[in-house]
Amino acid sequence: MVVVRRRLFQAPWEFRESALFTALAVVAGFVIQIASSGSGIAMPHLPFNAIALSLFAAIVLCTGLVLRNTPLVKWLGGIPLGLCLILAIALLSLIGGVIPQQASAKSSLPVLLGLNQIFSSWPFAGAVLLFLANLGISLSWKLIPVKPQNIQFILFHAGFWIALSCAVFGSSDLQRLVVPINVGKANNLGYTMDSDTPQQLPFSIFLHDFSLEEYPPQLLLYDPHNDKLLMNKSQAILEVRKGTTATWQGIEVLVLEYLPSALPGNNGIPQPADRAKGIPFAKVRINSASAQREAWISTGSPLLKPDAAQMDGFYLIMVPGTPKSFRSAVTVQDEKGHETIANLEVNHPVNFIGWKLYQMGYDEKAGRWSKLSLIEVIHDPWLPAVYLGFFMIMAANILFFWNGIKRTEVKK
Amino acid sequence: MIVNFNTAAELAIACWATGSLLSFFSGRTPALKIPAFALSFAGSAIMAGFIAFYWSALDRPPLRTLGETRLWYATLIPLVGFLVEYRWKIGWLKYYCMALAAFFLAINILHPEVFDKTLMPALQSPWFVPHVVVYLVGYVLLATSSITALHNVYMQLRSKGNHTGESVSHYLALLGFVLLTFGLIFGALWAKEAWGHYWTWDPKETWAFLSWLAYLGYLHAFRYKIDQSKLQWYLALAFLVLLVCWFGVNYLPSAQNSVHTYTQS
Repeated sequence: MVVVRRRLFQAPWEFRESALFTALAVVAGFVIQIASSGSGIAMPHLPFNAIALSLFAAIVLCTGLVLRNTPLVKWLGGIPLGLCLILAIALLSLIGGVIPQQASAKSSLPVLLGLNQIFSSWPFAGAVLLFLANLGISLSWKLIPVKPQNIQFILFHAGFWIALSCAVFGSSDLQRLVVPINVGKANNLGYTMDSDTPQQLPFSIFLHDFSLEEYPPQLLLYDPHNDKLLMNKSQAILEVRKGTTATWQGIEVLVLEYLPSALPGNNGIPQPADRAKGIPFAKVRINSASAQREAWISTGSPLLKPDAAQMDGFYLIMVPGTPKSFRSAVTVQDEKGHETIANLEVNHPVNFIGWKLYQMGYDEKAGRWSKLSLIEVIHDPWLPAVYLGFFMIMAANILFFWNGIKRTEVKK
Repeated sequence: MIVNFNTAAELAIACWATGSLLSFFSGRTPALKIPAFALSFAGSAIMAGFIAFYWSALDRPPLRTLGETRLWYATLIPLVGFLVEYRWKIGWLKYYCMALAAFFLAINILHPEVFDKTLMPALQSPWFVPHVVVYLVGYVLLATSSITALHNVYMQLRSKGNHTGESVSHYLALLGFVLLTFGLIFGALWAKEAWGHYWTWDPKETWAFLSWLAYLGYLHAFRYKIDQSKLQWYLALAFLVLLVCWFGVNYLPSAQNSVHTYTQS
């Protein structure tokens, strides 16, 4: 059999045409990026982005359906072009996965090409838009006429189309603001990450209380000559509790007593105290080559200096544990009389008139004595559409398992 | 804790090694089949027992540090090998699987991680376990798919046809892809609750997306009826992207602001 090699641009188009087209599109994207002096894309806000997306969807669907038998549209919605675009998106993402993504004031070539903000650059946007067109056209062929055996295909591809397009077109409507509030005060101004000018919120937040819980404190050995913290022999992080033992080169430590919350008392013996005021204290026995001694050590607080135990030129210190949880008791209200009282905590955001409120941070220098709470407020009107896409993809996955199991049974 | 781990890991590796040896000779002496399987299986059972013990000692699922996730891979990868032997009657895969599991445990023995007992607030979420478990199982399947593909490539180079092997690597990749998709979406839903947005191009997210695209590409190439034997190369290499995503990300320049590095300052 003689294999006749298809010439470039001889129908039907396949991988070579697709690769050429994709490469040209990406290069064109970089040219536009440079021509617009690296400023990236500014997507219009609601309702204009929604109109643009609807128009785009309509054009893609109509092209796919009306011209479905023309060679050009067959190629536009085909797998070869889809694969090339997936590769292009993957390569551009690879740049974003290696080069740190942050704004830069320098005007070097990578910055000009938008490599440091690749996901909002013209080449990436172009590749995604073409990919949406490709995906949309192939979807249109399966949508009409609809067949039961295509349900899984439709759910997966339509779900992906909806999630991706709404995430891209709706990105301009995402508002993320940080609201700093002191205990006993209210605030209705939020800051974006890259601007010092506050923005007015449609509601105000009153902070009743901020509280932080820590994990048990940790034992470390400090070497003042080299200004180094030394890990113990087992290389594990040592949580202080009664009976904890630790070994460093020639030094053995045993925790005899542990008071999670105490204040210094008479004769240097700490007395248990209220959690709000007290700090962790531990009585330790230290064995070294030269001597054995016992001492009280503590983590210290903004008001109390920490106690360390010295031996053989080293200091045994106790550092506060990492935060376990922190929460803000708040009242949120708007001018129309909506009001919510809530406890904001990491992983437990609260909804209020279309906004989501998150416990974000606090004054880390003050630790659990912080009187400042940072609340992040987020408004994303496109979220339900993106989630619809996610759930369609997951439904397709569940169908896959169902069908896959059934198919194996038939084979048997 | 680390002493206990070394004992359990060395015992498991010994079980897999003797199990493999016996299994290797069971071709001539069929009576060895049952003890061979029992020993190989015992290796995974020891690791499963260790994970259960470690879990209760930590008061949290040991799924956070890379060292901890390697425990799971070491336990689960041989099980996939046994399942494939049972389902498709392919015997050689389990040797690769046990070798890979032993390799993972060896990394843990040689480089004891700084096991941090504390769990930062953002990780205390009901999404934590499903997100990580789905990824774990997905990675295990894709690792096995990659091993199978590598074996297929080797068979091709010795010009031996191997259609069953090709369909095994394909089905494992397909199943792995479905689990990657779940993992990606669970991660997005969790991120919305914990960090405020479902997608922020965090380096780990970017690499998870890249791995997902790699397998998405494979499935479409397969669908387009590209020569299956050529695609074995693709499947064998696709796992490299997953490896970068899994532990390479921490060493990339882009990782300095990632929420997935878990390093303590």
